[in-house]
Amino acid sequence: MKPTKFQVKLYTSAGEIELEKLVPVFHRWIREKRIPDELLIDVADYAHVPQGPGVVLIGHQSDYYLDVADDRPGLLYSRKRGFEGDFQAGIEDAFRRALRACQLLESEADLGLDFATDEMLFRVQDRLAAPNDDVTYDVYRGPLEKATGAFFGSSGSLERIGSARDPFAVRIVTGANGSVGDALARY
Amino acid sequence: MTSWKQQLGDRIPDRLGGEVDLFEGQIELKKEGKIDDKIFAETRLRRGVYGQRYDNGLRDDGTGQQPLHFPCGDLTKGPDTVWDAPGMMRIKIPFGKLSAEQLDTLAELAEEYSDSILHVTTRQDIQLHFVHIEDTPDMMRRLAAVGITTREACGNSVRNVTACEYAGVCKTQAFDVTPYANAITQYLLGHPDVQDFGRKFKIAFSGCEDNPCGLVTFHDLGAVAQVRDGKRGFRVVVGGGLGAVPVQAKVLDEFCPEEELLPLAQAVSRVFARLGEKQSRARARIKFLVQKLGIDEFKKLVAEERETLRPDERWTAFLDDLHSTDEQPVRDPGPIPSDAPAGFQAWAKHNLRPQAQNGYYVAIIKMPLGDFTSTQGRTLSDLARQYTGDSIRCTVEQNLAFRWLSGADAVAFYEALDALNLSEAGAGTITDMTSCPGTDTCKLGISASRGLTGELRKRLDVIKSDLPPAVESLRIKASGCFNSCGQHHAADIGFTGVSRQVGGRKVPHFNLVLGGQWTQNAKSYGLVVGAVPSKNIPKAVELITAHYMQNREGDESFQAFIARVGKKDFRKVLAPIQKPPSYEEDPSYYSDWGDPREYNIGDIGVGECAGEIVPFVEFGLQEAEQQLHDAQDALEAGHAVIAAAGGFRAMVTAAKALVRHLDVQVKDDADDVVANFKTHLHDTQLFHDPFAKGKFATYLLKMHADKSHENANDEIAHRTLDESQLFIEAAHSCYQRLTESAAAAAE
Repeated sequence: MKPTKFQVKLYTSAGEIELEKLVPVFHRWIREKRIPDELLIDVADYAHVPQGPGVVLIGHQSDYYLDVADDRPGLLYSRKRGFEGDFQAGIEDAFRRALRACQLLESEADLGLDFATDEMLFRVQDRLAAPNDDVTYDVYRGPLEKATGAFFGSSGSLERIGSARDPFAVRIVTGANGSVGDALARY
Repeated sequence: MTSWKQQLGDRIPDRLGGEVDLFEGQIELKKEGKIDDKIFAETRLRRGVYGQRYDNGLRDDGTGQQPLHFPCGDLTKGPDTVWDAPGMMRIKIPFGKLSAEQLDTLAELAEEYSDSILHVTTRQDIQLHFVHIEDTPDMMRRLAAVGITTREACGNSVRNVTACEYAGVCKTQAFDVTPYANAITQYLLGHPDVQDFGRKFKIAFSGCEDNPCGLVTFHDLGAVAQVRDGKRGFRVVVGGGLGAVPVQAKVLDEFCPEEELLPLAQAVSRVFARLGEKQSRARARIKFLVQKLGIDEFKKLVAEERETLRPDERWTAFLDDLHSTDEQPVRDPGPIPSDAPAGFQAWAKHNLRPQAQNGYYVAIIKMPLGDFTSTQGRTLSDLARQYTGDSIRCTVEQNLAFRWLSGADAVAFYEALDALNLSEAGAGTITDMTSCPGTDTCKLGISASRGLTGELRKRLDVIKSDLPPAVESLRIKASGCFNSCGQHHAADIGFTGVSRQVGGRKVPHFNLVLGGQWTQNAKSYGLVVGAVPSKNIPKAVELITAHYMQNREGDESFQAFIARVGKKDFRKVLAPIQKPPSYEEDPSYYSDWGDPREYNIGDIGVGECAGEIVPFVEFGLQEAEQQLHDAQDALEAGHAVIAAAGGFRAMVTAAKALVRHLDVQVKDDADDVVANFKTHLHDTQLFHDPFAKGKFATYLLKMHADKSHENANDEIAHRTLDESQLFIEAAHSCYQRLTESAAAAAE
């Protein structure tokens, strides 16, 4: 199993998201190379699309969305290519990058964003390698529990969600109530 | 399974599968350095794999141009096109028709390889952005498995064949053009006679003359359904196009019998391939060939070519089963419930149209800026399965049409859309704007057309319930540059992106184009009224619509109003907002909508004493614009010769300003200006546009040589003014480049 096309979403704690405020922030991140180990390319603004991808920081290895799908705003990290480690490391790296982006966004005072750590979404955008079925779930369950434990202190509660035609997705209730900084520090 | 090729197996038709395998092989050869850049570029373009902004590996971050260090190093996928740079995948959807299964697949591709957004184009395609070239073969296989090919979606080939989204269910059609659009699509796809074009070739079908859905008049080849003495045929037009200089198509055949349609298209293709321009891209569209030869000579050549064609059974085989493209409703017809809720009534007013078949309706789903998500796409495919069957059509106004909706289901369908946040009312009204990608993703974008229409949408959304019907019915279309992908020439209010130099800095502007006619297959195009800073465009829309409402006579339409008062009148209205404040007064004017970076100032320094001393060249360019405006007024007043002479004079004035800017002594007479312009700006390529090259310079040189403006009729005068407008724009750009070079040299 190749550790690519992983997505991790952490939800904002509360409040209205002003998507247009993200546009200058992401442009500045590109200019200042705020994610130093990735090539950041452009900003795609989909704020006009209801329940859509919101505002996207497009990169070469990964994209970072302030995503408003399902009316649940959150940071969606989406790896596209370029990860060289093993499967477990790939999952943990995706968790880490998502949490790191949340931390960066929280540090942007004008945005007023705060991310919750009690729940996450994990998704694999690869229907060939990871169809949304119980076989795939059996492969991912253990590594996801291990990664959840590494960041949040317990393996959490996992639930496969969506239908067979949706991408493989798992809802992770972490049981944590700390900050994204706490999760990164624990790891 | 280890690959999509294995997974899909026999579901991929042999021919399409073979083509994808070949392309995948070419990708590998390119990586090994065994294919020339230009050849590979055209190869991938003919597979729908298109470039995107910043794919040269450079991006201005607002402080200057910065390199994007992709891991691929020096590997390229075309001249100045970095291998790893994200690109765009254009997916041909012939006449916009989609099945539920196809929509599901497109939704999957959007989220697995793109950014989860499906974008409907003005040519009924679907585009996915930020795609890596090495993902494209699998994308093509997955599309092939549901009957879609991206072949010839881009490049110098026959592009997606478009047709009215109401074809087959329309009350005003002569007959259903769908099977004919399908036949010509299949016949010309990969046909040897369409492989050697100098430029792209666009075909459109319309079921009737009066409605705009087919827009045949701005196509390379257009066919309008006709019935004569009970026999089916088409009025065929040729040589239309938008682009930098919009041209109305000319009638090639007043009545082409249905069995002659395919051979006629083939004959036209062969003439175009043989005689069309191949060296200069700027003059390679068929419209230039038709202009050069004249329509009568072109007709003669096509007729001669037709005689030489070897008969092909496919010319008429499709006529044996014209019902092969018919759609089957999945629900019984019925009336719309009389107790429908108010929200439904508001939506149905513009988004629901009765079909020719009693009890059925076409529902238009308004997509904001042509975008919808993968999740929405999957739910829409469910709705199609439940309510309408495989009868979805992408529209040229960047929406989706669901046909065969039973009136009895209309409210439930609306409520399902509402739950999906896709129940926006006002399809085909002022709030339903069309926009090309512009600077968001297009390499050629000058201004942020999507940013602008997004902003206009927000503002109009607040006041839409108060808009008078005459304003509500207006259409707004925006293009990010002169290539006109937003089809702004055919809008009531159109915008095309330009830039201006103010006080040593660039300011994004849009040229305002008024008076285009959308109806009657886009019967006439608008003319430029003037450039307005991007940030003042919302105000411009407000002023224009207010001026119209305050001064219209009776039920006078917008176009009739413009024809009566003239564009000069609008210039007065717009004059107070045409000059941007200085950077120090309001820097927001120096960035574009939705993009906080300072507008393309890149590494340009602020000129000494900028804002206080205006160089001569700026006066000269301003004078040229004024002369052009006067010429436009003359044309409106019916004085074609005066107008054309004025248009030429405006070009000479702009050229003279630039020549003098180079410290060259020049006399006031046109011969001397043109000679010096040629020597110092054309031959040196200083005037060359980075993409259009010497195209705009040739407008002046050619007009000076052939004196076409001296005996102009209306058509020539109109063209002269269009060319003059573009020449002046190019002069502004040239001046900007010269300023940048000087600043760089000074540093």
